[in-house]
Amino acid sequence: MEAAAVQAVVQALKQAGVDFISLLPDSDFSDLQYQVAADKHFTYVPVSNEAIGVGVCAGAYLSGKRPALLVPTSGLLVAAWPLTSICMAWSLPLLMLIPYRGDIGDAFWLMGPYKDTTEPLLKVLNAPYRVVSKREEIAQAIIDAQGSTISWQRPVAVLLTGETIK
Amino acid sequence: MKRFDCLKILAGMIDAKTIVVANVGPISREWNALRPSDANLLQVNLGLCAAVGLGISVSLPGRRVVILDGDGNLLLNLASLADMANQDLKNTLHIVLDNEAYEGGGGLRSATGGKADLSIIARGAGIPESCVVTTLEEFENKTRAALNGAGHHFIVSKVEKGSVANLPTITLDGKEAKYRFARYVESNEGVQILRPRYTHI
Repeated sequence: MEAAAVQAVVQALKQAGVDFISLLPDSDFSDLQYQVAADKHFTYVPVSNEAIGVGVCAGAYLSGKRPALLVPTSGLLVAAWPLTSICMAWSLPLLMLIPYRGDIGDAFWLMGPYKDTTEPLLKVLNAPYRVVSKREEIAQAIIDAQGSTISWQRPVAVLLTGETIK
Repeated sequence: MKRFDCLKILAGMIDAKTIVVANVGPISREWNALRPSDANLLQVNLGLCAAVGLGISVSLPGRRVVILDGDGNLLLNLASLADMANQDLKNTLHIVLDNEAYEGGGGLRSATGGKADLSIIARGAGIPESCVVTTLEEFENKTRAALNGAGHHFIVSKVEKGSVANLPTITLDGKEAKYRFARYVESNEGVQILRPRYTHI
């Protein structure tokens, strides 16, 4: 991920009011993850699997924080159970930022299955999403997604692809 | 040792401002009978009690947070213990009502009914204040000690299977419970949680 894209994401998170980040370290977001981990603006709670991350964000939200979960396409599958048993069952918001591995143009064969799982899974989980491929679209997408998830009380995702994660 | 008797002791020790997060099933029903309150977040599903409690503990460091976990609930996401330990929590009492079974799921044995010892696992995960209790007297002493000081305490309470008769039904579903808990935090912590919009962003 280029430095300009990282900065765009961090600034947009702050502008959107996000003050709590949970994540599991992931190669595609590693530069971004180092930034948010070091930034005192964010309460930073790294987790050992993404299911725990959803639970942590639920608790944080209900305590007055504005959490975001940085979750890879693989981790979204791990998170499916709490996204169902907490976010759907309790009607809880959650901003998810997802580096869209497996999107068209991502040639690594091992990522191919995530083209089949990611968007259908978000639809099943009642989580609307926006796919962002241009750096200049990052900020508004994150701000819109955060405002929508809080108002709608259901998860909303921003999928970063194309030049935004190269 | 009966779980309900442990919870009765706990209910007599905590103040009205203590936030309690509880495992889905009989633990929540028993706790709701003993201490009905909007400061309770009940019916937290398998694998998530500790995670939700962690999110609350980190976000509200000035509040006492008690997590009433089940052995099956915790076992599903054991890594929660390591993630909690690394936050150096100062306000958390994590109690596992360990009946060594999936009581809500039919009663088959859990891993703690075999060889697993959650107190040792917790210590290995980085929570030194970890113990096992097998009598009500031990439970009372360890719980009192934990509540008297700051820190992150982990108590495995070995309890029998089975609940008590004629518990009241929990009449809130998750959505209503969420609203009530969030409104409780809003009014007591001076924060805004729920914010429906009436315009474009």
